[in-house]
Amino acid sequence: MLGNLINIAVRNIRKNQGYSILNITGLALGITSACLIFLWVENETNFDSSIPDQERVFYVPINQKYKGEWQTFHASPGPLAAALKKEIPEVNKAGRLVNANLLFKVGDNIINSNGHYADTDIFEIFGLSFIEGNAKTAFENLNSIVITEETAEKLFGTVEGIVGKSIFVNNSPPLQISGVIEDSPANVTYKFSWLCPFQHYSKENSWTQTYDNNFVDTFVKLIPGADRIAVDNKVRDILPLLTQDNKQEAFLHSSKDWHLRSKFQNGVIVGGAIEFVQLFSLIAIIILLIACINFMNLATARSEKKANEVGVRKALGSSKKILIAQFLTESMMTASMAAGVAVLLLYLLLPYFNNLVERDLTIGFNEPAHLIFLIGITLVCGIFAGLYPAFYLSSFKPLDIFKRINKPGGSAVSLRKGLIVTQFIFSIVFIISTLIVFLQIQHIKSRDLGFNKENVVQIPVNGNIIKNYNSIEEDMFALGLVQNVSMNSSEIFSSGSNGSGLSWQGGIETEDVLIRYRWITSNFIETLGMEIVEGRNFSNNSRNDSLNIIITQSFAKLMGPGSAVGRIVTADKNYTVIGVVKDYVYGDIYGPSQPVMFLSGLDEASFLYVRLKPGIPQGMVLGSLQKVLKRHNPAFPFEYTFVDRVFQTKFKREILISKLSQIFALIAILISCLGLFGLSAFTAEQRKKEIGIRKTLGSSVLNIWRLLFQEFLFLILIAIIIAVPIAYLLLSQWLQGFAYRIDMNFWVFIIAGAIAILIALLTISFHAVKAAKNNPSNNLRTE
Amino acid sequence: MIKITDLEKYYSTEEVRTIALNGLSFKVKEGEFVAVMGPSGCGKSTLLNILGLLDEPDGGSFLFNGIEVAGFNERKRSNLRKHNIGFVFQSFNLIDELTVFENVELPLIYTGVKSADRKERVNEVLERMQIMHRRKHFPQQLSGGQQQRVAIARAVINRPKLILADEPTGNLDSSNGNEVMELLTELNDAGTTIVMVTHSEHDAKYSHRIIRMLDGQKVTENVLADFKGI
Repeated sequence: MLGNLINIAVRNIRKNQGYSILNITGLALGITSACLIFLWVENETNFDSSIPDQERVFYVPINQKYKGEWQTFHASPGPLAAALKKEIPEVNKAGRLVNANLLFKVGDNIINSNGHYADTDIFEIFGLSFIEGNAKTAFENLNSIVITEETAEKLFGTVEGIVGKSIFVNNSPPLQISGVIEDSPANVTYKFSWLCPFQHYSKENSWTQTYDNNFVDTFVKLIPGADRIAVDNKVRDILPLLTQDNKQEAFLHSSKDWHLRSKFQNGVIVGGAIEFVQLFSLIAIIILLIACINFMNLATARSEKKANEVGVRKALGSSKKILIAQFLTESMMTASMAAGVAVLLLYLLLPYFNNLVERDLTIGFNEPAHLIFLIGITLVCGIFAGLYPAFYLSSFKPLDIFKRINKPGGSAVSLRKGLIVTQFIFSIVFIISTLIVFLQIQHIKSRDLGFNKENVVQIPVNGNIIKNYNSIEEDMFALGLVQNVSMNSSEIFSSGSNGSGLSWQGGIETEDVLIRYRWITSNFIETLGMEIVEGRNFSNNSRNDSLNIIITQSFAKLMGPGSAVGRIVTADKNYTVIGVVKDYVYGDIYGPSQPVMFLSGLDEASFLYVRLKPGIPQGMVLGSLQKVLKRHNPAFPFEYTFVDRVFQTKFKREILISKLSQIFALIAILISCLGLFGLSAFTAEQRKKEIGIRKTLGSSVLNIWRLLFQEFLFLILIAIIIAVPIAYLLLSQWLQGFAYRIDMNFWVFIIAGAIAILIALLTISFHAVKAAKNNPSNNLRTE
Repeated sequence: MIKITDLEKYYSTEEVRTIALNGLSFKVKEGEFVAVMGPSGCGKSTLLNILGLLDEPDGGSFLFNGIEVAGFNERKRSNLRKHNIGFVFQSFNLIDELTVFENVELPLIYTGVKSADRKERVNEVLERMQIMHRRKHFPQQLSGGQQQRVAIARAVINRPKLILADEPTGNLDSSNGNEVMELLTELNDAGTTIVMVTHSEHDAKYSHRIIRMLDGQKVTENVLADFKGI
């Protein structure tokens, strides 16, 4: 029986090649999209799964209370890790990480490498595997270093026999290699290239021993079977206990949530990248649904031809069950063929998709999860797409065969129309979303940042740059290519350092306000093109301004009515406000500007900013800047970026969403159009006689085209009416997440509707015009 | 074999109720060949639907081999149908996607006959119908006469007691039409009961008896040959 069913299914697919191609293409596109999204979702949800006993490993962030609301910070105080291990018995391991950049030299090999100072427990918490050496002895010597295979290859060209060898570090004693560990996998939150003992760092920075500075990343691993909630409560109690400050608390953030649930609001997880995982999973389901709808529509549209066969089979003794099995076999065969095409498409498209999502996703049919997903999705598509047609077609009564008038039932026609409307609702929502996301990104890109981001080079400060700053500045000006040079303790877009507990003249509840602060050189404001709205800039001699500060407008606003200039702000010392600059955008580039206080000084500098003269080729200027830095900071390689490029990276995620939504909107529309194309062929065929009679009576090609088009136009108009409020609600909600956002203009909806109508019009016209141009005698002869 | 008494069937739309069969009664004996004639819309097709257990009457009685089948559900009707009744249609109603062999084989699949037996029986019938050489062809590759022979082969493959034929020569030229009528006569001679709906006086003459219908009722009955029963 099964052989018979498959045989008939194959012949049916072969006989109706046109419909089969439409169905297989639509389903293949749907399955391909779903598989690509699945691979991405799998990668996202498996983040950090390489950590052994992942459920027992936690990060320890800090909540601090400002104006009655908890704000969450990653950095925690240096002594916290040890305290957690000592005070809480369930904490089995506790370790700290501090990020650092070191210039390594081995022979002629010089690399600037980003790595970590760490406690020994970090090896076990992250399950770092030693190729040479071991975790126990790795940090016995304060000047030891553990490096990864990749770093070893870069420095020595090999991973073997390097334990005991020295790495020379700029301005420090050499480090001795005590171990080599495996490289970090691609999908982990914390990647390592080298690790040095934390004490190596803390012995030179005594402030790391106190609870006053939050600067390390703290991690813990609990004992097996520990009650996570109970331990979390104990962790929350520890800081108020040790610091007598109940406005801050540490808590546990599971390693399972690091990647996908890392957005906090008022101290509680409110989401994170999981939202994108959910969004794209939903998109995959919708695209599959649209593809399945094509199958349903085309199958039921062909029911007139099928009705006779069903009648004969029933008259010959076929049961409804056998007929359902027959139609399901056909849909399963179609879905299987589509899956085959999808696999080919996957292999072709995966490199481009990887490039887009910046991942290294691979298809592995030897991986059970991948195989199960593909088989599962094929089964679901085959059954879902085939079930309704199977029940509908098998319900035809056998008596119809004697009457020879087998008009498909009204219910199928209405359902088919409903399904077309559904497909276009999704497509139109996709079109509107694509437009809104694109406009929002453009809106942010053109936002007034409060400074001029163009033509500014950003160079990380290292080696002798601070020491030789005056000479560097002088030589750069001497090039004649540079408009301005300055330094800042923070990167221009980063949130940077912050502090609270400040007070100022006339201030109320000032201690409860979080203020960001940066040390800058006198011409930073000018270099970045910031605008002083009141008062003056720092003088060229920073010593004169050691007790002066410049604040942003939002800080001035906090200080209450009247001019802020001349008023005293008390932090560690009393500072006098000498100037107010216009607010500028940093940190959350979608959010409002938070108050900033600028101090004068270059000792804390982290970045050098150089504004280039306009109109000079950048390549030429960069070469000259490199020479200047090589002269004054010879040990370090010249590294730079442009501020406007840094800005672009700030909405990488939004740009990715924009690109993905464009691609998937296109696929959704394409699949919908494949269905529409098939249905318009069916309608033209079905109304052949009517068209023949109308043409005989004098109807023009245009009239016939309009006749066939208006049927679909009506459905698309209904889809627009339904899609617009849905899209409006969804996108309003999405835009709520941005403080700086666009208003939704009605013309976006008009454009989206027009696009949908235009696409449908082009799709339908092919068959409509073909039918309209047909010789009427041919049409009438068919009767 | 068949006894219908006061058979009624209505078709209703929202506004109109059409009477298709209006108290129709007659008998068909086992082995008899009966032709049913009448103008279009007189209820012939409705009668065939009911006799073929494809539809239910709204009133009256229908005894098939002495069993009242008027109230049978779809499953019971289907079961009775596939073992006892064969169909021959004006437009042949062969399944385009199946070969001659597979079309004829189909009723055997539905009655659960084993593959080896099926092959033997289909080949036997195809030989009898002189269409064996065409067994691998698809219906659209055959002439009208050949297609109807395949349809008859399919109708008799389950060795039914009754064949219902609906205008079996309607789509054929006279030569092919005569061949088909000869075939039906042969089957009848071999003991199969046949009820045939036709517009053709010529075809009707092959039967033992002609029942003429009008507006869902029997008008006359002409006995053409002396049927002695089997």
